Amino acid sequence: MAKKTINLDMTECNNREMRIGTIISWDGKASELVEASNYEQRSKHEKHHHGCPGGKGKACQLCELSTPFSQQTMCANAIVACQAGNLTDCILIEHSPIGCSANHIHFNIAFRIGLQRRGKSPENLKIFSTNLNENDMVFGASDRLRRTIDDAYERYHPKAIFISMSCSTAIIGEDIDSVADEKEAELGIPVVPLHCEGFRSKHWSTGFDVSQHGVARQIVKRNPEKIQKDLINIVALWGTDYFTEILKPLGLRVNYLLDMASYDELQQASEAVATSTFCHTLGSYLSTALEEHFGVPQIDAPMPYGISATDEWLRAIAKVVGKEDIIEDYIRSEHERIQPELDQLKEKLKGLHGFVLTGSAYAHALICALKDLGIEVDGSVVFHHDPVYDSGHDRQNSLKYLVDNYGDIEHFTVSKTQPFQLPGILKRVKTDFVIIRHYGLSPVAAKLGIPALAMGDEHFPMGYNGIIRLGNLILDIVARKKFNKVLSRHTELGYTDWWLSQEDPFVLAHKPELINEPIYETNGGRYDG
Amino acid sequence: MAKELRQIAIYGKGGIGKSTTTQNLTAGLVEQGKKVMIVGCDPKADSTRLLLGGLAQKTVLDTLREAGEDIDLEEILTEGYRGTRCVESGGPEPGVGCAGRGIITSIGLLERLGAYTDDLDYVFYDVLGDVVCGGFAMPIREGKAKEIYIVASGEMMALYAANNISKGIARYAKQGGVRLGGIICNSRKVDREFELVQAFAEELGTQLIHFVPRDNVVQRAEIRKKTVIEFDPEAAQADEYRELARKIEANTKFVIPKPLTQDRLEEILLEFGLLDI
Repeated sequence: MAKKTINLDMTECNNREMRIGTIISWDGKASELVEASNYEQRSKHEKHHHGCPGGKGKACQLCELSTPFSQQTMCANAIVACQAGNLTDCILIEHSPIGCSANHIHFNIAFRIGLQRRGKSPENLKIFSTNLNENDMVFGASDRLRRTIDDAYERYHPKAIFISMSCSTAIIGEDIDSVADEKEAELGIPVVPLHCEGFRSKHWSTGFDVSQHGVARQIVKRNPEKIQKDLINIVALWGTDYFTEILKPLGLRVNYLLDMASYDELQQASEAVATSTFCHTLGSYLSTALEEHFGVPQIDAPMPYGISATDEWLRAIAKVVGKEDIIEDYIRSEHERIQPELDQLKEKLKGLHGFVLTGSAYAHALICALKDLGIEVDGSVVFHHDPVYDSGHDRQNSLKYLVDNYGDIEHFTVSKTQPFQLPGILKRVKTDFVIIRHYGLSPVAAKLGIPALAMGDEHFPMGYNGIIRLGNLILDIVARKKFNKVLSRHTELGYTDWWLSQEDPFVLAHKPELINEPIYETNGGRYDG
Repeated sequence: MAKELRQIAIYGKGGIGKSTTTQNLTAGLVEQGKKVMIVGCDPKADSTRLLLGGLAQKTVLDTLREAGEDIDLEEILTEGYRGTRCVESGGPEPGVGCAGRGIITSIGLLERLGAYTDDLDYVFYDVLGDVVCGGFAMPIREGKAKEIYIVASGEMMALYAANNISKGIARYAKQGGVRLGGIICNSRKVDREFELVQAFAEELGTQLIHFVPRDNVVQRAEIRKKTVIEFDPEAAQADEYRELARKIEANTKFVIPKPLTQDRLEEILLEFGLLDI
């Protein structure tokens, strides 16, 4: 039997950078990143390979820029809150001072909207904080955690309780594993420790893995009595349920994991016929855990964005569920159905250039959809890069799929949501609009005079209908062009002339000594680009 | 003019006799009319037992936990032998929480409560074991102890620990004014102990400030919860502590230590025959 890449025996999961070599800073052509990533070689998970194009080193880390300055970021603890904290009948307890819970207002909106998108009634997040203070740091806080678990259980009778570790509790060595074991035995429900302290990993996406690790380890049903032959797992965030409409003709029902799922929905993941995802970055860990430990195969295909990727994805699913006989007819009829509208849209969108700033694999997929609409894409920012995914399956190599099928992306940037880089990054490409997944960045683009789409619903562009939806939405967005131009004349970004005149958005990585040099401000940081 | 307050931290390997030495030394200083405060920085809270006649002191951290922020200095500071002011920082139960953070918390509170009064001549910080993390270095950060004495013996592990502590001091010396005042040898009657510790001290760039001989009167006094000076003022050992107090009072040799390499440390041990045993 093949060696497992995911170890469910331990309560902690390995960091993304350790498992798959994730990086957060890089700048170059997409084709160069494909080559440097060396997906195929890395997928073998061999310890001493020579995947680095320069042949350097045994461990072969993907060469990464090292920048001395970061303007903002998120952490794995916050991501756990928006995964394990977004379940309908389970409770998350954050074992931390209250500041770690500061972002729940934002996540609560996503949760409420997400529930409605999935046809569930809207409700508020149910996340507890142990609200630790100085004394708890000195004397330990396990009793407070025990009390909080009891309170949460008494108040809501959840089907499972998750406990998330924070930086402070991890430093003082709080033993959440033992408390979880003790309370699990006492309450008779799964109590799941999640080791997601912020300093563990340089990228927040480790928080996805930590949450999924806990679910796979303690919630998903081991040795299920039955297989639900019409059930497919889709690892997702808060997106609208567009997967049902596209998979219904194959006789499939969708089991979304993890956000907005119920305990029972998580449990039945092992009864499904297959697992897929809207984004390999997000779905990598759970899909592979379900494949390796529960025998649920994952779909080895690109993500269903853009026509040919959607075709391939549907074919791969049909193969797994034994619907190969009908799949070609289905695909053909879908092509015919959307073709007239797609032709009209391409005519209207002709000559437009777009730019994408989103999570890693999702950007690769979204660019495919844009290119199918005839939109040129000269550049993109992804918030991290995984040179390989946990499964190592060939057809999931999403960046290679993009480059092979749609051509190179000249300016492909890996950077964690850094607004200060945006003026420089956008200056070197031609773009009529940007699509941004992380809301905080879209006002920056808008102030630069570029219509910006803050895409809240990540499923919006998926499948054949998604291309049409996306095309129509872009027409709406570019119609704001004049508004954005006016906006740019009346707003300032707050950066110095010196910074705005830099050609290289990574100049601080290439010349780190600059950060110690004095800066002379001249015009209040107005952007004239 | 206000007197200049000397803040002194005592470090050394666990079990070497830091607390015993600090309290006996304090007794010697108060005999000379000095005003001294001892801040115990060990979760066991036994740094002031001989001066208070028992574990009579409620710790800063326990008080903080039970009474909240609204506490008075009197609740955590008790006067012991000849007016010595005794404070125990305290800390968590073994194996939970963070003792290092406890020291930061309690020293911060002592400052806010005004424990560092102008009439004090000395403040001693009796610190647990090695400088294992940032919290245990709190007493030697900027604005706190400027002098450090390391209690050691001729035993190998005591010298290893002293060398490691010197590394911590050298690090902090670059940022602030902390200096090593000397090594206090608390004798374990090891062969050629005096020569070995003296050679070690010289190699570090410091001095063997005093060699405290081994004497069972220390244990007898300890059982009665007293310093030697209080228990048996006429004992020869009492004079040793008085001598140590005089030397510290008169000390002017404060250095940034030059920690030894592992190889050099072992060479010295060989030279004095310690490894022949």
